[in-house]
Amino acid sequence: MSALLKIEGLSKVYDDDSAELAVIDNLNMTVEQGEFLCILGPSGCGKTTLLRCIAGFERCTGRILVNGEQITGPGTDRIMVFQDFNQLFPWLTVEKNIQFGLKRQGIRDREQLARITADVLKKVRMHGYGRHYPYQLSGGMKQRVAIARALALKPSIILMDEPFAALDAITRNTLQQEVLAISREENCTFIFITHNIQEGIVLGTRLMLMEPGGRIAIDIRNPIARPVSPSSPGYGALWDRLYAALYDTQRGNPV
Amino acid sequence: MQKKPALRDLAEKLAFAAAVLALWEIVARAHVFGMRSEIIFPRLGTIAAAFVKNFVKGYAGVSLWTYLLNSMKLLLEGMGIGILLAFVFSGLSMVSRSFHNIYSLIVAVADLLPGVALLPVVIIIFGVNPGVIVFLVVHSVIWPMSRNLIDGFRSVPKIYVEAGKNLGLTGTGLLRRVYFPAAMSYIVSGLKVGWARAWRGLISAEMIFGIAAAPGIGMYINQMRTNMNNAEMYATLVVIVIIGLFVQYGILNPVEKNTVVKWGMRKL
Repeated sequence: MSALLKIEGLSKVYDDDSAELAVIDNLNMTVEQGEFLCILGPSGCGKTTLLRCIAGFERCTGRILVNGEQITGPGTDRIMVFQDFNQLFPWLTVEKNIQFGLKRQGIRDREQLARITADVLKKVRMHGYGRHYPYQLSGGMKQRVAIARALALKPSIILMDEPFAALDAITRNTLQQEVLAISREENCTFIFITHNIQEGIVLGTRLMLMEPGGRIAIDIRNPIARPVSPSSPGYGALWDRLYAALYDTQRGNPV
Repeated sequence: MQKKPALRDLAEKLAFAAAVLALWEIVARAHVFGMRSEIIFPRLGTIAAAFVKNFVKGYAGVSLWTYLLNSMKLLLEGMGIGILLAFVFSGLSMVSRSFHNIYSLIVAVADLLPGVALLPVVIIIFGVNPGVIVFLVVHSVIWPMSRNLIDGFRSVPKIYVEAGKNLGLTGTGLLRRVYFPAAMSYIVSGLKVGWARAWRGLISAEMIFGIAAAPGIGMYINQMRTNMNNAEMYATLVVIVIIGLFVQYGILNPVEKNTVVKWGMRKL
């Protein structure tokens, strides 16, 4: 079986500084269909850049293949959920936001659009909010709608760049559980970036830790049986290992 | 909760207007300027009578309506062309860096030139015809509108553009469905400035070069001025103010209310 996502020799250099800085240097990795990959790493290690390269927002060298085909730019097979709450279009209602991508794909049938919208809103527990404008929603609700907007397009991969980092702890835990439930129902692959070790262990079927320079320090299958809680056997040991590695990668660097 | 402040706002405005009118009438009756008072401050009753006379009798047998309609026709034509061109050029500025570079220079220079200062040259080129007025209206609309559009397009948050691309938009689709609504706040401001400039530009041009083929409201004011019909002149200014208020409260504010305010992007 060939991998869903295959990255070969990926390098990314930001040249807006006089000193060229390689954020990612010759990175190779694969992601299999159905995996929930959580990428941890300190700030500036290149994890967001990696995600943006996969989304097609950044120019980079090397090859990124999805289902065996090299990507050339953004596409609806890879939908990004950003950290910023303001990723929904404020001039469209929740349902129009969700239908936006569907309409671009040529779906014009009102009934079909309404059915898909109701379906994905239900999945993120936002049914009944279709007619609201984004400014009328809380941060957590906006993130739910952003996830619904991604699900509606049935992408191969949903890319999530610390989507819950700006939420309060309670909302964050709730949303983690919901994303977990969605990931088990949907036949969709997730790549999820976080700074939060707990979040990574709870959500990921696979955990990756990146070091500054975009090197992969740890890449393991999550050994803990789902659903994960801090009392799950092995949680403490895994948390310690990731914690040590995460802070080890920062040693010698100013924080 | 929503209705009360709106009513209060209106009451405040009306009270202020009434106070100004009352002050005017007191000054008019007190003959503060002696002999000249009748001319500088005609009584409100005289102005009201002149207001009616403007429309009923008009000047040289032609009602103010006719002048007004001529002006409005040229104004709408000019604004339509100006706004359209502003959109085309500002859109091109987003596509091509060189175009933006040159166009922003043109906007910066052209926006500084008062339309009436260009009149003599424009008349030599076009001759004395309504096209001259349309040209001036276009001139007064296109530059402030372009400025606002370009500023608006450039300040569209990157996240909307990336989300739009991610959801399948490219090229003109991105311009139409993301840049345009995201810049709506700037577009409305541009319309406000553009409209006010166009209206003033039109009247100034008509006052300087009344065009016999399509006599407008500016020409009417000028005729009242030359004949020392000051009450009629004030009454015509009142007409101008009424139209201005209608556009502000009847057109521009509803546009704002149904877009940027409804979307939570701006408070009214």
